[in-house]
Amino acid sequence: MTPGQRGGSPPGNGSATGGTGSRATSLDDLNRRVSAARREVEERGETFYPGASRVHLAAFPPKERWSDWVELDSRAWPDRVERRYMLVPTTCFNCESACGLLAYVDRDTLEVRKFEGNPEHPGSRGRNCAKGPATVTQLTDPDRILTPLRRAGERGEGQWEPVDWDEALDDIAGRIRAAIDEDRHREVMYHVGRPGEDGFTERTLAAWGIDGHNSHTNICSSGARAGYHLWMGMDRPSPDHENARVILLVSSHLEAGHYFNPHAQRVMEGKRRGAKLIVFDTRLSNTATHADHWLSTYPGSEAAVLLAIANHVIRTRRYNAGFVKRWWNWAEYMAENHPHEPSTFEAFQGVLHNLYEGYTFEFAAAESGVDAETIAACAEIVAGAGTGLSTHNWRSAAAGNLGGWQVARTLFLLNALLGAVAVPGGTYPNAWNKFVPRPIRMPPRHPESWNELTWPADYPLSLMEMSFLLPHLTAERGGRLDVYFTRVYNPVWTNPDGFSWIEMLTDPERIGLHVALTPTWNETAFFADYVLPMGHSSERHDLTSYEQYDGLWIGFRQPVLRAARERLGEEVSSTRDVTPGDVWEENEFWIELTWRIDPDGSRGIRRFFESRERPGEKLTVDEYYGWIFENSVPGLPERAAREGLSPLEYMRRYGAFEIGAAVGPVYEQRVPEAELEDTHVDVAGRAYTRAAAPPSPNVVPIPPLDGDAEGRRRVGVAVNGEVRRGFPTPSGRLEFWSRTLAEWGWPEMAVPGYIRSHVHRDALEPGQMCLISTFRVPVQIHTRSANAKWLNEIAHTNPLWLNPVDAARIGLGTGDLVRVETQIGHFVVKAWVTEGIHPGVVACSHHMGRWKTGDGPRQSMATVSLRHEGSGWGMSRRKGTGPFRSSDPDTARIWWTDVGVHQNMTFPVQPDPISGAHCWHQAVRVGKAAPDDRYGDISVDTAKSRETFRRWLRLTRHAARHSPDGTRRPWWLLRPVRPDREAYRLPWNSSEPSAP
Amino acid sequence: MSVESEPAPSTRRPAWAKVVDQTRCIGCHACTTACKSENEVPLSVTRTYVKYVDTGTFPQARRSFQVTRCNQCEAPPCVTACPTSAMFKRADGIVDFDKSACIGCKACIAACPYDAIFINPEDHSAEKCNFCAHRLDIGLEPACVVVCPTEALLVGDMNDPTSQVAKIINRDPVAVRRPEKETRPKLYYKGGDQVTLDPLAAQRPAGGLFMWSEQGEVDHGVPAGHPGPWNSSAAAVLSYDIPHRAPWDFRVSLYTWTKSIAAGAYLAPFLLLLTGAITAASPLWMFVAPIVAGVFLALTGAVLIWDLEHPARFHLIFRRPQWRSWLVRGGFIIGGYGAALAAHIGVVLTGGSPPLWLGLAGSALAILTAVYTAFLFGQAKARDMWQNPLLPVHFLVQAFMAGAGAVVLTVLVLPTATGPMGAGAMSAALRFFAMGSAAHALMILGEILMPPPTAHARLAEREMTHGRFRGWFRAGLLGALLGVAAPWLGWIVVPIGLAALLAYEHAYVQAGQSVALS
Repeated sequence: MTPGQRGGSPPGNGSATGGTGSRATSLDDLNRRVSAARREVEERGETFYPGASRVHLAAFPPKERWSDWVELDSRAWPDRVERRYMLVPTTCFNCESACGLLAYVDRDTLEVRKFEGNPEHPGSRGRNCAKGPATVTQLTDPDRILTPLRRAGERGEGQWEPVDWDEALDDIAGRIRAAIDEDRHREVMYHVGRPGEDGFTERTLAAWGIDGHNSHTNICSSGARAGYHLWMGMDRPSPDHENARVILLVSSHLEAGHYFNPHAQRVMEGKRRGAKLIVFDTRLSNTATHADHWLSTYPGSEAAVLLAIANHVIRTRRYNAGFVKRWWNWAEYMAENHPHEPSTFEAFQGVLHNLYEGYTFEFAAAESGVDAETIAACAEIVAGAGTGLSTHNWRSAAAGNLGGWQVARTLFLLNALLGAVAVPGGTYPNAWNKFVPRPIRMPPRHPESWNELTWPADYPLSLMEMSFLLPHLTAERGGRLDVYFTRVYNPVWTNPDGFSWIEMLTDPERIGLHVALTPTWNETAFFADYVLPMGHSSERHDLTSYEQYDGLWIGFRQPVLRAARERLGEEVSSTRDVTPGDVWEENEFWIELTWRIDPDGSRGIRRFFESRERPGEKLTVDEYYGWIFENSVPGLPERAAREGLSPLEYMRRYGAFEIGAAVGPVYEQRVPEAELEDTHVDVAGRAYTRAAAPPSPNVVPIPPLDGDAEGRRRVGVAVNGEVRRGFPTPSGRLEFWSRTLAEWGWPEMAVPGYIRSHVHRDALEPGQMCLISTFRVPVQIHTRSANAKWLNEIAHTNPLWLNPVDAARIGLGTGDLVRVETQIGHFVVKAWVTEGIHPGVVACSHHMGRWKTGDGPRQSMATVSLRHEGSGWGMSRRKGTGPFRSSDPDTARIWWTDVGVHQNMTFPVQPDPISGAHCWHQAVRVGKAAPDDRYGDISVDTAKSRETFRRWLRLTRHAARHSPDGTRRPWWLLRPVRPDREAYRLPWNSSEPSAP
Repeated sequence: MSVESEPAPSTRRPAWAKVVDQTRCIGCHACTTACKSENEVPLSVTRTYVKYVDTGTFPQARRSFQVTRCNQCEAPPCVTACPTSAMFKRADGIVDFDKSACIGCKACIAACPYDAIFINPEDHSAEKCNFCAHRLDIGLEPACVVVCPTEALLVGDMNDPTSQVAKIINRDPVAVRRPEKETRPKLYYKGGDQVTLDPLAAQRPAGGLFMWSEQGEVDHGVPAGHPGPWNSSAAAVLSYDIPHRAPWDFRVSLYTWTKSIAAGAYLAPFLLLLTGAITAASPLWMFVAPIVAGVFLALTGAVLIWDLEHPARFHLIFRRPQWRSWLVRGGFIIGGYGAALAAHIGVVLTGGSPPLWLGLAGSALAILTAVYTAFLFGQAKARDMWQNPLLPVHFLVQAFMAGAGAVVLTVLVLPTATGPMGAGAMSAALRFFAMGSAAHALMILGEILMPPPTAHARLAEREMTHGRFRGWFRAGLLGALLGVAAPWLGWIVVPIGLAALLAYEHAYVQAGQSVALS
């Protein structure tokens, strides 16, 4: 008997001292057939998935048995009632992490019984957060939309009639076709929340030839993304927490998305291996509580603290001088900014030393309210991290503050100083840990028009679309959208200034047709013309790949009932046949819509959605993904063949595939000789070649870099005489100094620095406080989890956090009503008095406060009355939630009544003039509620929100005045559905009188 | 290599234990929903949840988490209390349950010191975490262990010293909840924090709120946390918990009252007989005693069955008795008492006179009927106020008082029932009632004047005397004091005293369950 076999026997045998119930099945018999325990599984030659406990128990059934797995019914227990399941993988869609799920499809009823994790998924490794298992409750939500609906009364009136899919599709397609034919391309817009997929929809829009992509990113991560993008050309971090010596988070990634579960696993694993954890979070989050050092920074002061740490690293000469010298664009910086100094690294070191010497611990302490000793202790820890410093900022401070992008930029400065870039334990750029397989029939075309509503020239450096300004831009600049899609997006509720959104959506002059693609009702869909039900996570096809560790993987989201039926030998030609009601699969929707836009193919659109195998016929999802898996995912066909499967069958069976791990520092890779032909290295060290780029199956967005004057293409940078890949930045190196910022009007911001936030103490009027409105709770996700009963049972309200010092000053206790006054209105909420927040700061989670005026989801939305007079809007709560009868007996057991308060409606838009990101933090007045204030009251004056929009607009530096080359936007900056280069040209000459 | 003397590890029966590693837990609630999914647990109840406590003063503050669920006790009070072995301990140590045998008496819930058991609103049977026994038995880890993002939940075999949980339990600082209850939990908390382990360590926030949820106003609710200031060294505020419920409602309060009358209605006439206040031939002894006792005993039984979630399964108490359960013992005592009463009536109806030994036996069973409830309450290990050594005596006193009261009221309605002794019997009964009331009042005063043994008992008592049940309690105490004056004020105080007894019992039964256990 070897130790490895210990505990292999079936446990217990359930010999009860009591308990009746028929033992229909002998456990020994059962175990011979189905035990997942190590010995039995290995004896059968199957795959044993060890669990966290490291005993003979498996975490998952052996994959060889996923098609027909027997489990014992938990409800019938202790009777041993067998249930037969087919385990079908898919991908969670309850946040952006795209964790793997395994659907347990009952083989008898062909219904999904439950979701567990997928052990074959390299990112989530079989584990999930609370939202993964809760997916099943979204499928059975009695209030989900099961049939396409068309508005019957006025927009927003709540009158709906069922509509035939054909009719809806023809109507929508006809309007899009007319827009394209009449050269009104700009009037078609697709506005997406978190896409949850790579490539499909952008490809669709590219095929249509419209610049109509609009994302939510500028109310989300684009502040941080801008900071990263300016440094390394790639816009997101991929920290290797697991191997780090020091983990520095300006985020709460032990509880929030991007990438909550995958990162939480690795942060805690890093801690287990001895890493120190430093967390910047104004609130005592679940993440902060695990920190060795929790820094409750005053909002907006994060960059000051980070620069104090950088200053310490520089002053004590603990930075990685070799790395800095090799990979920073210091020479360019010196040449442009210190032309009279010698162009030596030593001179640069002197400049660097002086640049940050003002950022003392005392300065940082004064700005942040964190004591200098704690900052010094953190600085010392960071200075000792070597290259094992993993850092992460996604939203948090970067999404809250004017100049928030500098938080990410100063955070990454620490990595850049230590050389902790794309090495074990350091932070990688996302694009090197992400794989977007080239799709079939990639449209080569770029839109020829530029959409001024999403990419106004006021914000030439905006990382993403100025999505949240849409109501103001359509009103002020006469923009009109003839067809406006919202897809899994709820701007009325999610975006700031929701009443301005309602004003726009109810204005037929501005919105011709609003189509809401959504599985469940939301506040924006209430103002749609068509509400088209799309599938939940286990009812869709999507490809995902996210930077969660140093590796490359793809995950496949699929309609599990389709996959199950196909595995049982049925032919499923349309996913609609297996979705509940009249719900449609989204990929198939776009294919169908595209065909109807260009029915005869004469517009050159349809061809991208035609089958290759069967010319003239529609592309199917099987062919689309089958082609990708066959042709664009290295190693997948071979791996599938080993199991006797086609690549598509493999992905339908296992749901995920790891293309490679340990990608390492790509920038150090030598460019192979084959790629070096007639190479030219310019004075800045950038290398150009005449050799064509080798075809890559990975089409992850990378900035396009201009070639040289002789027509060579950029291939890398020369370092000590060797051409290496370098970074996809204009200089090819890490850009400590950004020529882009300097040339586009912001020379004073071109190096990592500290911008005082709009909520800086000096910027507040007497009596004002800063409101943090962005924080997440671990069990909710924006508007997507609203109908997940288990999640709502755990978290269903959002009281205002305030420190006991402030509570005492105002005279408030927990549960008391508070009136929070913003610049454009106020909301009334309850108080939560806690030691877990910085004095002078209040915080309110944004997840809650869902509402409806009439019918709508019952478990998560308050019923409210809306009032409207001129620009004045009011909302008052008629009732919260409570028990009700439905197809799900559980809804009669709802014991909570509160669903929180919708605060975002009372926030004006506050776009950062550089990154374009909405600066979420609010300067507010907090006081006791007035005598006639009621819980949930909201009041807003949209005229004031327009004023605030104009005020922030004045902070911008317009492309017409600051563009160095007559274009709207630096060509190299990332941009979804990038238009044709000609469209980049500004329509105005800055000398023209009509120029803005 | 060979270890001949020991059974081979693979054939040895495992002794399951779990570790909750609170140093790794991030409070994400994945275990909660994974469990709901695996075990199809309805809304409003849960087999496991994650409690949060915020501790400290800004900026030195922290949040502690506790995965809160069944402790899989080595000495499980729920199994001891269960009348039908619906809760049972398997040979491998798992405390499991069989819903088909559950009568829904809630004795297990009352007994559990961890508030880990609930009645499932779908099937009305008791359930709780059973380590996912249905998964373990086919070689799978429990659902919560599998889902946990940070591997903070581990299951393992204490008989296998190399297993991960055995290593942690044997080598690392671990804690269990409420070891003083001598349940010997097999759920160990690594890095467990006193502020979460002790249900009264953290303050209950004001305003019916937690950090992101309502505290919940549910039927028969028991709000979590300490209603006063925190009870630990650092400022500690409960920031997330779930609604809890007390198992036994007014029907159990009512049962103690009808049962006191049932016991006393035989006992008091027998004492009147022994003291010579009535004769053996008096209708009071011959008919009234067994009939009134019998009627109230039947009512007691009806109330008990009414209180069951599965009334139709009442017979299982007798068909599959679990003898350590005081519900079973009580059931047989009541049955025996009922038989004695039937025998008494049978003898009378056949024209005879009940022999002394039958009176003695009936009275002994009446006494047992009166006092067994104290042991039933005593099986509720964590209801500290009920862990009172004088409780059996107190129930006996109540029965005596109630019985005397019943005699008084009977004689009032049927003055001839006393037979030839007439008014003498009435005044003796009034004296009995006064003596019973005096003893009852003294025991109440003793209960509230003695310092309570634990924080839990103190809070329960406070809830009784100054909290939600103060009205019932005060009425009960005043009524008892009034009853002392029965010889002087006459029969009029008797119905008041009896009603007050019910009020007191209600306060006592409900306050005993009013303190949070988890």
